[in-house]
Amino acid sequence: MASVKISNLEKAYGAIKVLHQLDLDVEEGKFVVLLGPSGCGKSTLLRMIAGLESVTGGDIYFDDKRVNDVHAKDRNIAMVFQNYALYAHMSVRKNMAFSMRLNKTDKKTMDEKVNWASSILGLDDYLDRLPKELSGGQRQRVAMGRAIVRDPEVFLFDEPLSNLDAKLRVQMRTEIKDLHQRLKTTTVYVTHDQIEAMTMADEVVVMRDGIIEQSGTPMKIYDKPNNLFVAQFIGSPTMNIIKCQVTEENGTRYAALDKLRLPLPDDRDLQVGQALYYGVRPEHFKISKAAHDINASSSLTGIIKVVEPTGPETHVYLTLADENLCAITRERIEMKPGDEIHLQPDVSHVHLFDGETKNAI
Amino acid sequence: MSKRALLPRWLTSEHPLPWLFPVTSLLLVFGLYPILYSLWLSFYKRNPATRKETFLPSYNWEKLFADDRVWDAIQITFTYAFVALALQLILGLAIALLLDSDKKGFGVLRALMTLPLVVPPAVTGMMFLLMYDSSFGVISNALYSLNLLSPSAPILGTGSTALWGVIVADTWQWTPFMVLIMLAGLRALPKEPFEAASIDGATAIQSFIHLTLPMMSKIIALAVLIRGIDLFRIFDYVKVMTDSGPGTATETLTAYAGTVYFKSANFPYASTVALGTLILVLLTATLFIKIFKVRF
Repeated sequence: MASVKISNLEKAYGAIKVLHQLDLDVEEGKFVVLLGPSGCGKSTLLRMIAGLESVTGGDIYFDDKRVNDVHAKDRNIAMVFQNYALYAHMSVRKNMAFSMRLNKTDKKTMDEKVNWASSILGLDDYLDRLPKELSGGQRQRVAMGRAIVRDPEVFLFDEPLSNLDAKLRVQMRTEIKDLHQRLKTTTVYVTHDQIEAMTMADEVVVMRDGIIEQSGTPMKIYDKPNNLFVAQFIGSPTMNIIKCQVTEENGTRYAALDKLRLPLPDDRDLQVGQALYYGVRPEHFKISKAAHDINASSSLTGIIKVVEPTGPETHVYLTLADENLCAITRERIEMKPGDEIHLQPDVSHVHLFDGETKNAI
Repeated sequence: MSKRALLPRWLTSEHPLPWLFPVTSLLLVFGLYPILYSLWLSFYKRNPATRKETFLPSYNWEKLFADDRVWDAIQITFTYAFVALALQLILGLAIALLLDSDKKGFGVLRALMTLPLVVPPAVTGMMFLLMYDSSFGVISNALYSLNLLSPSAPILGTGSTALWGVIVADTWQWTPFMVLIMLAGLRALPKEPFEAASIDGATAIQSFIHLTLPMMSKIIALAVLIRGIDLFRIFDYVKVMTDSGPGTATETLTAYAGTVYFKSANFPYASTVALGTLILVLLTATLFIKIFKVRF
């Protein structure tokens, strides 16, 4: 196992810069997820760690060894690709044993390792099949098997679950996490799926346009987003954002949009007239049918557009002063489109972002 | 009523027969008829003096098997086909590997590579004939100055080198065809398995042996089949460059059939030799398809 350290890393294709002076520390044994929308440079970063892309500027270290100029085959890493990248003409067994065959491992060790990996991954019955005779999930497991038999310093995953159906994705998510807990190998995992990032990571690194917007534990990123982008990217349904201005009425400060008055937390440094983005996660709206159920002074009235029961909770999409919002409740409230609904944001969980810099206040 | 409904059902696209008619009739006229006609012809014995043909079904076929020149021609044809095929395959794959790049200029190189293919084979034959000429030919002179060849034994005029001379011309012309097929195959290969292999610790040569070759096997087999069949029919180069000579040193099966037809005017026997060639090609190709499990 090794730690991975990235400092001032840059990547450019001709004049186009895709990564801008990235710094990142992946501690030994940690599971780090690179998260971001398509084209943010997360896969490029992973491929640079793997040695599949050259480094334009900056350094990559495994432990204290600079690996910029070390060929992929000499980095002792293992990588799982989005489309599995299996060797189509080799059986599952040969796929998994390929790296060992190349470095002339003796047959006994090779068989032991393949059997060990296949028993962990539930591939015992498929060892003599060709990849084309397997389902998507099984292929993904073979790709993982090929990676774990190597006993690598670092595991790299490039959107490994994107080609699987929803149910299998959830199952494989758990399996990968379980595998990491057992093997404790340093892992860097790329995904655009924030649920995957939240559920699997020790640390999430949110990227956009070639820079790291924020990194931290999943809950830290969720609870304390650094800026508007991170706030909106993490969480599903996404955080409600209302663009408004600070006003003062009767000695109390509000975030105001037209006639709408939203309560502000007391602990922020705000100026009257300051433009800001007011963010509330759907679960931090308290909703009720009758106004007196909640504190009337800060109650807002919206019109229900769509009700989506998911089982444990109900997602309510509504309009409030022309703004489209979403609220989540775990209570069983009788609701239908067109109904009026009262809602109140939980002030202690309100997120405020500067109207210009879009950074958290 | 729509226009389509006015047409009888058998004329609409759901019905294949009317659409197959043009190509079927072409095949019947230019493919099946000549073969059946040759077969019919091969059952006749021609008397060269009287120019009379008498029906004697086994005569030409017995003669075919007893004819030493046929056996020599089979041996020469096989040698020619195998050597030329091996050369073109290895060169084709090697050049394709060199040209398989997205770097600037490689597109132009790939296009230039196909130039020999647009030269008619007979012209290629003439070109090499000139280059092999023992007094002013550039290839001959180069070989003389390197002491690899002596002017007393001109390439095409010497039994031991004439066939090689023809093979080189064929290879010059047809290697680009192999390059094209190999390039199409190489450029269609997925990148990821190669990246996975390099992460698995494979060197470039190991990747080539363990991934490129097996992944290209079907394309290679197809290319070998197409070129192989073509090489069995070799005629133009031999006709133009050596006219089967010296002696019969470069007399392939089709060249022999040509000689029998045009020089001896023994049409029935020429047809028999040609049909024999066809049967040999079919057998060899079928064997190849079975052994290497080629699928189309």
